[in-house]
Amino acid sequence: MTLAWIIRRARRQTTATRRALLAAAGSFLVLGLVGGVTILGLRATRGWMNTVGQGVHVIAFLREDLEPDQAAQLVELLQRRPGVARVRLIDPAEALERLRTAARTVPTAGSWLTDLEPGYFPRSVEVSLTPSADLSQRAAELSRRLQGLPSVAGVDAMTEGVARLAAWVRFGQRLGWAVVVAASIAAFSLLVSAVLRGREARRRQAQVLVILGETAGNIRLPANIALAAAGLTGTLAALVVLRLAWPMLLTAVERALGIAPAPVGHFLGLWEAAAGLLVAPLLGWVLGYLSTPVPGWVDA
Amino acid sequence: MIWLEGVSYLRSGSPALGDVTLGVSRGELVVVQGSTGSGKSSLLAVAAGVRAPDSGAVWIADHNIAGLQASSLPYVRRNVGYLSSEPLLIPDETVLENIMLALAVRGQPIDSAEADARETLAMVADSAWENRQARSLSSGQQRLVALARALVGPPPLVVVDEPASGMGADEREGIVRALVWARDRGCAVLCATSDPSFAQMVVEAGGRRVDLEGGRIVGAPAIGLVPRPVDFTSDSASQVQNAESAEVIRLSERRSSGEESS
Repeated sequence: MTLAWIIRRARRQTTATRRALLAAAGSFLVLGLVGGVTILGLRATRGWMNTVGQGVHVIAFLREDLEPDQAAQLVELLQRRPGVARVRLIDPAEALERLRTAARTVPTAGSWLTDLEPGYFPRSVEVSLTPSADLSQRAAELSRRLQGLPSVAGVDAMTEGVARLAAWVRFGQRLGWAVVVAASIAAFSLLVSAVLRGREARRRQAQVLVILGETAGNIRLPANIALAAAGLTGTLAALVVLRLAWPMLLTAVERALGIAPAPVGHFLGLWEAAAGLLVAPLLGWVLGYLSTPVPGWVDA
Repeated sequence: MIWLEGVSYLRSGSPALGDVTLGVSRGELVVVQGSTGSGKSSLLAVAAGVRAPDSGAVWIADHNIAGLQASSLPYVRRNVGYLSSEPLLIPDETVLENIMLALAVRGQPIDSAEADARETLAMVADSAWENRQARSLSSGQQRLVALARALVGPPPLVVVDEPASGMGADEREGIVRALVWARDRGCAVLCATSDPSFAQMVVEAGGRRVDLEGGRIVGAPAIGLVPRPVDFTSDSASQVQNAESAEVIRLSERRSSGEESS
């Protein structure tokens, strides 16, 4: 069969099985959406955790009269403590800038922040602990010790809030994974049923073509092309939908949670999109191959 | 053109063909007549290369197709116009497309394939059917369309099983005319029927009759065919496509030349 014939056969097969192919393209669309939302959702939750928690477990506010040398010594001492991952000295200007950044995400925030001076904010030390199962206890212990220091005006143990947030995010992720798995199974089942629906017709067609002397490769080619095209179309549609809807959805969720926008890209990377556009047609091609049984000898 | 040599074939464990030897040369029309269950369909399926014999050889255009790899079989089959006992058509396709597919497989350009398919349909059946879906045809009409598909081209070898089954007198005459048309274009035509009157019509049109009973040829004609010596070093697939190049020598001629030389 020449290329012209193969194109003709693929076109005719597409017309004859357009419902099944539409269902297959729809399945690829759902699979693409599920995959894309999974990647973007994981990225966004990681960003939220970083934004909200900054990975900080204990904040110690320093006395105003504390000399810079003494503050630096305190930082050095804390860094030597076992279980401490990172210690940062935050000056008043940085603290004010953070507050302003966070306020920008809240539409109801007034302009009162503009009149604030950095001098209103005390210097502070942010301590991040290495993650472990007893993180909360360790953070509480560190808080108690810091409160006993004369150079420390106050201590804010962030652990509880962050731990609670982390627990919610973990719960959300588990729920998300359950939804992802369920949606993937549903979409894949729909895809397989759409492909199987045309299997009997393709088997009969293959039997005729085998008798006529067509090679197995050429017999399968129209179904391969049609299902690969369905895969490409569905995935392209999923990318367009994600490109249009995801930024709006993300912004809405971030506003609802009252958190600063995650410092991550709002869309899939070029390679991620390219991988999707490659894998889906490949999967379609393989399904087309598997869905067209070609007998060697014919029981005709 | 085709030479079946000591062919045996088991169907569901019981012998359908036993040591059958039969040849059909270019420009020859052979009708195999036998009752139901005599092995006609098995014989024709083996001859068309759609079933593998359990023993024996099936020579088509210099090559024993029983020994070919499965991947080479399509190159043999595309040179055989085959009408099976059940006319296999693609039900969702039009009549014209079904006929054109035989030419598509041979790589004929679409335009000329369409013209040839129309011509053959008009000769065998009714050209008004061309845009009808195959599923909308009666079983008799489907058989005629499948016959047209077997004859379109025409291919070097035509193998038709019960072409006149359930047909009226006019259709039977038309079928015989179509088989003669193929024969006159140099095809080797092998036809099977359980209907003695149809077999007689074929004989009257210049065909040779072979009777099959219990999977064996009875009262075999003295004339048989043998293929020329085979070059086993040649590329099978590409050469089989050029089936017109096959030469067959009548056994009787060989015998006579053997007698002369001795």
